[in-house]
Amino acid sequence: MTETEIGSLETEMNRGFLHILVLALLEKDMYGYAMAKHIESLGYNVEENTLYPLLRRLEKNGWITSKWELGEDRPRKFYAITAAGRALRGSLLDIWKNQNRILDEINKENADVQ
Amino acid sequence: MSNKLEVYLEEIGHFLSGREEREEILSEIRSHILEKTERESGGTADEALDKVIAAYGPARKVAERYLDGRPIIAPAYKRHLFRYTSVVFAWHAILTAAAVIFKEDFIVFPFLFIPRLGVMEALMYLPTAFLADLGIVALVLYFVTQRGKDVKLPWPRFGVDLDEVKTPAKAFWARVGTAIGAAVMSGFTGFAIYLFSRFNTVFLTSLDFDRARPLFTPEAGRRISLIVIAMFAASTISLVIKLFTRAQWVDAVSNVVSLALIGLLLRQPFDNLFAIAIPESLLPKIKFGLKFTLLPVALFITIALIRNIVLIGRRKLVARQGGYPAP
Repeated sequence: MTETEIGSLETEMNRGFLHILVLALLEKDMYGYAMAKHIESLGYNVEENTLYPLLRRLEKNGWITSKWELGEDRPRKFYAITAAGRALRGSLLDIWKNQNRILDEINKENADVQ
Repeated sequence: MSNKLEVYLEEIGHFLSGREEREEILSEIRSHILEKTERESGGTADEALDKVIAAYGPARKVAERYLDGRPIIAPAYKRHLFRYTSVVFAWHAILTAAAVIFKEDFIVFPFLFIPRLGVMEALMYLPTAFLADLGIVALVLYFVTQRGKDVKLPWPRFGVDLDEVKTPAKAFWARVGTAIGAAVMSGFTGFAIYLFSRFNTVFLTSLDFDRARPLFTPEAGRRISLIVIAMFAASTISLVIKLFTRAQWVDAVSNVVSLALIGLLLRQPFDNLFAIAIPESLLPKIKFGLKFTLLPVALFITIALIRNIVLIGRRKLVARQGGYPAP
């Protein structure tokens, strides 16, 4: 398997993960650049040109809200999670936990076979 | 404010034109780039800004991430594009033939208007009609896609299905056949050029060159001979190219050239054509015979041309979906 193929599969996997990640991060109001830096400090990279369109889609669906604030002489758009966003995050986390549990089970079964 | 940043944002804005949230998107990108440049390089020097802009990505790609990813035609309906076009075009071709034969207009407003056509006009009209049919079918499939509902489009299980097209076999014997064809055609071409260089025509009353006389008058004979030599040469070149590639575009180009040459041939004036004595009563019959020999040939070539255009489109589509390589 080539790096390109792995990269394209990773992109597909990231799509869902990024939704959970952003909804989890926004328990505290944040703006895009701060979010990207925080995610980076946790050892994961999100491209800016992926993050902002994602934020826009989440906002369009009513899962987050935004407002412009003027701080340090620069306007910044702060995002916050809504009640609908919290509910969605809960559901997505349940799905994610279940997927992890399934993979753990299969890994255990594979280890037993070996 | 850096001019480079404004140019970059303007470029993104260009690809987002028409979207009401365009200015807000650009403001957010501007804010992000300026903050990143300031924090990560300690200033907004042009060089640092260039790096941040480059890392953000090409303007078109950035804009595309904000655009609705819905396809113009849903993948499930793509195969119907050529299926339905082939059916619509078949009717179009039949009605066109009827318009020529019966010398009538056909109007099915607003979908179809076939004026009374001469044979040459009809041959020119058919490829245009094909493109129009393709456009109409694409438009219908576009609306079906945009409706977003699951519509099961019908398709009968009979007739020619261009979906079933397979990659042309690069078989040894196919190449041998092409090589023989190329050799025969180059022989014809060479012989025609020899006749033309010696007699200024390829049409002679006899193959006994000492007694042969030109069949046509000098000017008409020269024109028609040149057209015929061009036809032989085009056919030879096409066969030689096909020795190296089975690509469909070779056939398509060859079809276009052949059609153009047949068109030229049909447009040649018939009066004062023959250099030998022909009974007056026989002339209309010869004219009729010539036209009705060339017209079916032209019709077959037109159909082959349209088929080749469909195959090229179809193969590109399949190749894009991970099938066999495009020609």
